[in-house]
Amino acid sequence: MKNFTRIVYSSIAFLSFIGVAKAQTPSDAIMMKQREACFALTYDKGSFDQYWEGTYLRKNEIIATVNRQVIMPMIAIGILDKLNFYVAVPYVKTESDEPNGGQLQGAKGFQDISLALKYEILNKELGKGKLAVLAAGGYATPITNYLSDYRPYSLGNGTDEWSLRGIVQYKLNMGLYARAMGGHLFRGQTKIERDYYYNNGSYYTRWMDVPSAWEYSAALGMWLLDSSLKLEATYYALNSTSGDDIRKYNAAQPTNKVNFDQVGFSAQYYIKPVKGLGVLAYYSQMLNGRNTGKYTTLGFGAMYQFQM
Amino acid sequence: MKKNIIVLFVSVCWGMLLVASCEHEMPRYASFTAYDFSKLDEDAGEWEPVLLAGPEQIMVDAPEDVNSATYQAELSSLKSAMASLSGGQKKAVEYWTNNPIVRWNEIALELAAKYNLIPGPNADGTYTLPNPATPEGPSPFPFAHPAYTSRALAYLSVAQFDGLISAWHYKYLYDRPAPYQTDNSIEPAYAKTTLPSYPSDGAVIAAVSRDILTAMFPLEKEYLKGRADEHLSSLIWAGANVESDITAGQHIGVEISKIALARAGNDGMKKAQCPKPVSDSIKLSAFTRFGWQWNNLEVPVRPVGLAPLFCNVRMWSVPNVADVRPVPPPAIGSPAFLTAAKELQDIQDNMTEEKRKIANWWSDGLGSYTPPGHWNKFAKDFIIKYKENPIRSARTLAYMNMAIMDAGISCWDAKYFYHYPRPIQAIPGFKTILGTPNFPSYTSGHSTFSAAAAVILSHVFPAEAAQCEKWALEAAESRIYGGIHYRFDAEVGITQGKAVAQYTFAKAKNDGAD
Repeated sequence: MKNFTRIVYSSIAFLSFIGVAKAQTPSDAIMMKQREACFALTYDKGSFDQYWEGTYLRKNEIIATVNRQVIMPMIAIGILDKLNFYVAVPYVKTESDEPNGGQLQGAKGFQDISLALKYEILNKELGKGKLAVLAAGGYATPITNYLSDYRPYSLGNGTDEWSLRGIVQYKLNMGLYARAMGGHLFRGQTKIERDYYYNNGSYYTRWMDVPSAWEYSAALGMWLLDSSLKLEATYYALNSTSGDDIRKYNAAQPTNKVNFDQVGFSAQYYIKPVKGLGVLAYYSQMLNGRNTGKYTTLGFGAMYQFQM
Repeated sequence: MKKNIIVLFVSVCWGMLLVASCEHEMPRYASFTAYDFSKLDEDAGEWEPVLLAGPEQIMVDAPEDVNSATYQAELSSLKSAMASLSGGQKKAVEYWTNNPIVRWNEIALELAAKYNLIPGPNADGTYTLPNPATPEGPSPFPFAHPAYTSRALAYLSVAQFDGLISAWHYKYLYDRPAPYQTDNSIEPAYAKTTLPSYPSDGAVIAAVSRDILTAMFPLEKEYLKGRADEHLSSLIWAGANVESDITAGQHIGVEISKIALARAGNDGMKKAQCPKPVSDSIKLSAFTRFGWQWNNLEVPVRPVGLAPLFCNVRMWSVPNVADVRPVPPPAIGSPAFLTAAKELQDIQDNMTEEKRKIANWWSDGLGSYTPPGHWNKFAKDFIIKYKENPIRSARTLAYMNMAIMDAGISCWDAKYFYHYPRPIQAIPGFKTILGTPNFPSYTSGHSTFSAAAAVILSHVFPAEAAQCEKWALEAAESRIYGGIHYRFDAEVGITQGKAVAQYTFAKAKNDGAD
C-alpha cells in the first residue's frame, strides 16, 4: 500500500507534461506481494505561462497560461511476489486561462491506456540495508481519437509507446533510501489531420514521427512516523533522441524534440485506523527544457489496497 | 521466475520491433519518375504569352550545326560525363525527372511553408514587420502568408510559362535534335522524344525558378543557386541536353525573370502592408459606412491587419477590383447574422471528429504552404496523372496561380472594404479550434482561392471537375467548422472566387493551347 503510492506519484509526475503526456510505467523499487491489489485515484493540475521555443524560454499571450488537469485511475496487481502488473487510464483536460489572445478551445477526454510489468531481479541484504534491482517493461496506446497535432492543448502524443526501464535502490533499515532509474521510451508515429507539414523541410504525409526518448531519475526519501509517512525528493530528466524545434512564435507539433528536467517532492500518508487506505500529495517544477511548457504541477491522490 | 522475466523482455522487444515495422513512408516530395508525355505541343511557340509581346521578345541566336566541331566536342563531353556518373549524380537525374516544373513548384511550396511565420511581439509589446531591405530580420523577410505566397507562385508559374513559350518557338525554329537523336549511342535517362533540344527547356525552368524564387525569398539565394546548379548539371547527366542547349535555355530564363520581376517590383505589393494611420482610416471608413469594424484581438494587439492594401496590387486578368466586389455582408445583429452565429456556436458545442478533421485538413495555416500551396499540390498531382509535358504543366500552373492571386486580391478588397468582425469578436465567449487570422472575416480567403483554383483546374482537367468542385466547397466549409468564418463568408467567397476566375479562364480559352 505505502509502496504503491510511490508508484502513483512517479506516474503522475511524468504524466502531466506537454509532449510526454503518457501514463508512465512504474519506475520505482517497490513490489507488491502475490494476490495483493491496489486501486488508486489521483488528480493533478499542471500549469505554465512560459514555454521553451527550442531552448528559448518565452511567454505567448495567445495561449497565456495553459492548464492541464489529469484524473487518473490506476490498478496494480501482484501477480507474483516478484512480478507486478499495472494498468492506468488518465482523463485529461486542457485549456487556457482567460484572458488570452487566441480564444482557442481546449481539449478533454481519455488519453492512453498504459500497461506495465515490473520484475524484481534482485533484493538482498547489504550492510545496514537492502539492495534492490528491478526491470520494467510497458506499453501505452491511445484509447480515444484525440488529436495529437493540437499543441499545446492536445491530450497526448497520439502514438504507441514501448518502454524499458532499469531501477536500482538502496534502502537503509532506518528508513532512508536512495534510488536511480534509467529508461528508454520507444515511440512510433502519430496520425495527424493534414497531409503536409514542415519539419526542417516538406513532409507529404499524414504521419509524424514522435521522437523516442531517454529518461532518468534520482530520488532520496525517508520513511517516518513508524513507517506511516513517507517523504521523497526526486529529480527527473527526459531527453528526446531526435526531433525539430518549435519555430519562432509558431505552434508546437508532435515531431518536436522535447527535453526537460524537473524536481519534485511528494508526501504520502498511510492512515492506520483505516486498513488499506492512504493519501498522497505531490508537487513538481520544471527547471530546464526544450520545446515544452515550463510546468508547475500539484496533485493529490487516494489509494486503497486489498487482498485478492 | 526466470521464465517470467524472459516473457517480459521478449514481449517488450517484440513490441519495439512492431513499432519499427509499422513505420509509414515519410515522402519529402512527390514520388514519381520520368514519364512519357501525353503530347509534345509542337505548336506551343505560337501560344499567347502572359508577359511577353511575343516569343522573340527574348532573342536567342541560332545554334552551331550538329556537324560542327563545337557541337561534337559538347557531345563527347556529354558522353564522357554520362559514362562516369556518381551515385549522387544518378540520384539527381532521377529526382529532377523530365518534368522539373513539378520539382520547382515543390521547392516554392517548401519555402512558403518555411517562411509562413507571423512575427511575434517584441518585449515592449510592439511588432517588428519583415522588411525586404533587411531580409535577415529581426523578423525574416518574407512573411509568406497566403497573399504573399499566391503572388510568389503566380510570378513563378507565369515566368516559367512565358520562358517555355519562347523556348518552344526557338526549338522548332532552329530544330536542333536532342543529343540521343544525333548520336544513337547515347541512351538518355528519360523517354526519348522528337522535341528539339535547343534551347533546353530544363535550363529555362532552372534559371527562371532560381531567379524568381530568389527575389521572393532573398535569404534562400545560395540554397536556390545550389538547387539550380544541380538541376542544370542533371540535364547533361541525363543525356537530355548539351552545354549550348543549356546556355541558351538559361539565357531565356534570366531574361524572362527580369521582365517578370520588373512587373513584380511595381505591382503595388510593396505598399500592401500599410502604416497604422492608413489602416486606421480604412477601418474608420468601414465603421462610418456600415457601423461595424474588425478588430485584432491578439495580446498585444497587432496595430495593422495583414496587407490591408493587397487590394491595390495589380491583377492579372481583372481590369478593376471593384468590378468583382461582392455584396455587403448581413449587418451585425441582423437575423441573417444571428442565424450564422448560432450555427457556429452549435458546431463548436457539438464538434464531431469528421468536422474537426475537415477543419484541420484544409487549415493550411501558419507554418504551412497556405491554401494556394494546397491547390498547387492538387495541380501537380493532376499534371503527373495526366502526363503533362513541362510547357503544359507551366500553363496549368500559370493560369491557376493567376486566378488564385486575382481571387486573393479581390478577397482582400472585400475584407478591408467591409472590415467585418471575426466570430470571436462578434460572438461573446466564442472559442474556436483553429486560430483566428489577423484580417477581417468577410469574405473567406480559403473559399475564394479555392473556387478560383477549381475553375481553372476543371477547365484543364475536365474529368476532375467534380472532384475540384467538391474540394473547393469542402475548403470553404472547413472554415465554418474551424469557427473562424460565418457561412456567408464562405458562400459568398465561393461565388466571388468563381467570378474572378472567369476573367483568367477567358484568357486561357483563347491562348491557342486548347
